[in-house]
Amino acid sequence: MNRRDLLKQIALLTGGAVIGGELFLAGCKTGAKADAGFTAANISLLDEVAETIIPATSTPGAKAAKVGEFMKVMVTDCYTQKQQDAFVNGIGELDEACKKMHSKAFMECTPEQRKAFLVSLEKEAKEFNQKRDDADKPLREEHKKKNEALAWKDQTEFEGSPSHYYTMMKQLTLLGFFTSKTGMTETLRHVSVPTKYDGAYPYKKGDKAWAE
Amino acid sequence: MADNTFDAIVIGSGISGGWAAKELCEKGLKVLMLERGAEHKHITDYKTATKMPWEFEHRGKTTQQQKEDYPVIHRGWAANERVMDAWTNEKDSPYTEVKPFTWWRSYRMGGRSVLWGRHSYRWSELDFEANAKDGFGVDWPIRYKDLAPWYDHVERFAGISGSVEGLPYLPDGQFLPPVPLNIVEKDVAAKIKAFYKGERHMINSRVANITVPHDQRPGCQFRNRCWEGCQFGGYFSTQSSTLPAAVKTNNLTVRPLSIVTKILYDKDKKKATGVEVLDSMDNKTYEFKAKIVFVCASALNSTWLLFNSATDIWPGGLGSSSGELGHNVMDHHYNLGVSGEIEGYENVTEFGRRPAGFYISRFANTPGDKNRSFLRGYGYQGSASRQGWGRVVAELSIGSELKEALTEPGGWRIGATGFGEILPYHENKISLDSEVKDKWGLPVLKMDAEMKENELNMRKDIKEDLQAMFEAAGVKNISTYDSGHAMGHGIHEMGTARMGRDPKTSVLNGNNQVWDAPNVFVTDGACMTSSSCVNPSLTYMALTARAADFAVSELKKGNL
Repeated sequence: MNRRDLLKQIALLTGGAVIGGELFLAGCKTGAKADAGFTAANISLLDEVAETIIPATSTPGAKAAKVGEFMKVMVTDCYTQKQQDAFVNGIGELDEACKKMHSKAFMECTPEQRKAFLVSLEKEAKEFNQKRDDADKPLREEHKKKNEALAWKDQTEFEGSPSHYYTMMKQLTLLGFFTSKTGMTETLRHVSVPTKYDGAYPYKKGDKAWAE
Repeated sequence: MADNTFDAIVIGSGISGGWAAKELCEKGLKVLMLERGAEHKHITDYKTATKMPWEFEHRGKTTQQQKEDYPVIHRGWAANERVMDAWTNEKDSPYTEVKPFTWWRSYRMGGRSVLWGRHSYRWSELDFEANAKDGFGVDWPIRYKDLAPWYDHVERFAGISGSVEGLPYLPDGQFLPPVPLNIVEKDVAAKIKAFYKGERHMINSRVANITVPHDQRPGCQFRNRCWEGCQFGGYFSTQSSTLPAAVKTNNLTVRPLSIVTKILYDKDKKKATGVEVLDSMDNKTYEFKAKIVFVCASALNSTWLLFNSATDIWPGGLGSSSGELGHNVMDHHYNLGVSGEIEGYENVTEFGRRPAGFYISRFANTPGDKNRSFLRGYGYQGSASRQGWGRVVAELSIGSELKEALTEPGGWRIGATGFGEILPYHENKISLDSEVKDKWGLPVLKMDAEMKENELNMRKDIKEDLQAMFEAAGVKNISTYDSGHAMGHGIHEMGTARMGRDPKTSVLNGNNQVWDAPNVFVTDGACMTSSSCVNPSLTYMALTARAADFAVSELKKGNL
């Protein structure tokens, strides 16, 4: 079995490095249903949100990597019911919040307006997640106490409240983009069959990272 | 020879079964290899191995449906979109847990030889003497010198890459050139060596990945996608190595979809006469006869088969007369380790994706070590690499600045996980659960095993020692973790039909023969008398080759 992957996961987790690393793992772990009810308009909106986070520069951005469609697949197949609900409701909430800030829907905004909005939304998401963590803490403790009184077989996993919808969108954008063909081969660089290993390969600032 | 009669029957096609088949075939025996799962052909059946990473719909993540279908696999890191087909259907083949037991199974041709971690270390004399010295379990009936030539034999064929180090408690072997350490690991290794005055050793992993062409296999291409199966034959598996060798002799017959339900036993001759097979597709029963039977069904399933055999004579099954059949379950405990940042080295990165990293060999409770609150020892496996796009980039929340920053690699990190020895406790056991039946109506295994004080005390030192070593090597922002360990989770489940010197306290003798049926050999993890702290598969290979050699010489002498 592949311990290297395990180590990577752990290194990322212990470093607190993956944005929402816990969600990448936990998000694909607990019971839910299929069909999260995405519309074509939803996908277009998610594409534009993703493109604002990872825009086309000298290389293609998240929209070219079809990140909107990727979000639909991941939320539908891998998210729990609670997470799905939070994500799908979040699509509407995002537009409402954008209208409050710019008096128009996200799709109507200029790239600069979109970016300014998502920067403020990220701040809101951070505060939301912090409050969520604070609120979950006693519930988690209580759950742990209940578990301790049970036989191990009757113990259950604690499912915390979902993160802010924007946090999920950003996580899926980064995952979807950097594991896409364009992300791996144009923004990053990828060699499918390296044939050798060099543990002191020259690197200079500006060189692209290897996609795994 | 009648269609259902062979010289030898090998039950299982994993690492041990593959070796048994190869050795027996090459010595001229007509061999039937029985595999309970389906065919899984070398290269052509490695369906995902040639896909590009972006072609995986969920980019490696598993779905809610898979989580529901494979709850045990989802207890750890083994749940990955790329290999979900490899795991045993948990609904068809359940087991019960008196105490938590993670059992990761792969019922198909090659078994877990396709999925294994490939780390291959010899046991040392310290390991073979351990039980006799501290009194846990029974004494091994063999010593390092008995197995050393067989380690040579299996290493030469399997292709083990590694560095010759001359370490006292980790014997060198017949190595191909090692998978290199990277520049950071080399420097950390040198600092550890200096700080501990040559008493602690961080060395290249020793792995069954071939770094040069070997035995007509082109070799490792540094893709690090081993567990999907390798179209380059880059690592040892039944499919890449032992199976083609056995097939080449024209002495091998393979029958997949064959669940062996019992070993047929003749109580007058006190020998096995063959096996009974349930065909998993047509649900019919077949009998096959042979002079010798090699049981290599994976540790716990080998014992399951013994439980179900010769019950008219011994209600507890073949080998139960000792009172030890099913007892002394072991594993390696892990799910704990240390990681941190390495400053500098900005002008270097890695090229290629290694299937290995570094290994820190055992030092605890070796002569000269400090006093410990536990017996036995542990080793570590780990690696250093630059961080990827998943890292947090301060102050750059979105947009082209974020994208540009994540286009470059981050700083270096190093991390390792510990692997600790688990003592053989009689009360750690498996048994048949007659209440629960599998898809074919067969009783399932019931697991009742746990770590005890010795292991829990060891875990504290595993973390503290590695943290101290990393600190000595200048690693910064160190963090430790211990997410607990359920038995089995190490995927090194061992014991339950141990070797020994006395039929009253062991199931097998020093040649892996069942004391009560000398033509039945158990050579997989079931036979282990203690667990050491190094990965066990290489030792199963060596024990299997040794037992096969013994079996054939006994056959020739007319003793079996």
